[in-house]
Amino acid sequence: MASKTLSQEFIKGLWDENPIFRQLLGMCPTLAVTNAVINGIAMGLATTFVLVFSSIVVASIKKLIPNQVRIASYIVVIATFVTMADRFLAAFFPPISKSLGPYVPLIVVNCIILGRQEAFSSKNSVGRSFIDALGMSLGFIIALLILSSIREILGAGTWLGHQVLGPWFKPWIIMILPPGAFLTLGVLLGLIMVIDRKLQRSV
Amino acid sequence: MSLSSRMIIVLTSVGVLSGALLSTVGLLTRARIEANRLKEIEEAIVSVVPGTETNQKLYEEKDFTVYATRDAEGQVTGYAIYTAGTGFQDKIVIMFGTDAAIQKIFRLTILDQKETPGLGAKITDEEAFLKYWENKDCSQPLALRKPPVALEELSSSEVNVITGATISSEAVLNTVNDSLAKLRSLIQDGTIQIEGNNGQ
Repeated sequence: MASKTLSQEFIKGLWDENPIFRQLLGMCPTLAVTNAVINGIAMGLATTFVLVFSSIVVASIKKLIPNQVRIASYIVVIATFVTMADRFLAAFFPPISKSLGPYVPLIVVNCIILGRQEAFSSKNSVGRSFIDALGMSLGFIIALLILSSIREILGAGTWLGHQVLGPWFKPWIIMILPPGAFLTLGVLLGLIMVIDRKLQRSV
Repeated sequence: MSLSSRMIIVLTSVGVLSGALLSTVGLLTRARIEANRLKEIEEAIVSVVPGTETNQKLYEEKDFTVYATRDAEGQVTGYAIYTAGTGFQDKIVIMFGTDAAIQKIFRLTILDQKETPGLGAKITDEEAFLKYWENKDCSQPLALRKPPVALEELSSSEVNVITGATISSEAVLNTVNDSLAKLRSLIQDGTIQIEGNNGQ
């Protein structure tokens, strides 16, 4: 790990170790909130805030925490930032807070965040953890954007609320319902595997 | 220092720091969150009873609040009713306005809902649902028109269903009908009284 340059540390979150497409972590928010692009973006940003700050804090106090209570301590740190994000959204962006409903508090149990603390921040410097968290968050946002774009366009004929498909288009309602999330994610995962094989073969 | 005391100290201090931080954030945002909620209710009251300048809470219980609305001259313009009913997924919180005689619904608006996006969530959509609720005759319980028809074809006490979201549409309808019945019985038994209300 330590042999990686900082830019590699950042970029790995986008493709090689993309939290959704490669690590298959954080599936619950991924499947649940991607029925509209705006929800995907808001969820991505809230998770970014929590992941970045939790990683910084965990990386800076990692030496103080006895191994036996590390998970408990990480969860308290994560929960603190999640609650802050939740209150902040409720105070300043009430419509977004409403549309995300219970999913903001559920960021606490998003495996991406605890996973990065356990796999990365607890073993690396503050700077590296910060870069790693940024990369992972961006990978998460990109994945949510792709998923929610496909689902909103096919399921409602709109993108970010703007009509993109003409009146001839009959929305596939299933795409904004839970099965649409699984279908889209499955197809995307398959597609990414195919692209990845092609890339590796050409290398 | 022994391991167990280190564990206790670390977890306790993490918890205390987190608690201190959160109570600060809570203090800083509480007023604003409460203000958002009140503002939303105020705006909803103004939107459901036209010409409202002031309002006065007449009655309150869990998920049912009645406000009397008054115009600039202090004349009673009607009632704004804040109510909630069980939808497809979770509670649907509704505000609607009637005239002072409870014969007519001016408007209805949805304050909170967690219905299926793209289906049941259309109850918040002006074109798909809310416009059918404007100026309805509520002297009789309202009825749902299924399948939906053009606005002109609806009778004065009918509202359109949302195709594919009958449960959500029915939930709103039943909540409104129940609230109207409740409001009437509260007025009848004298629990709700408005000064200067001549019944019209």
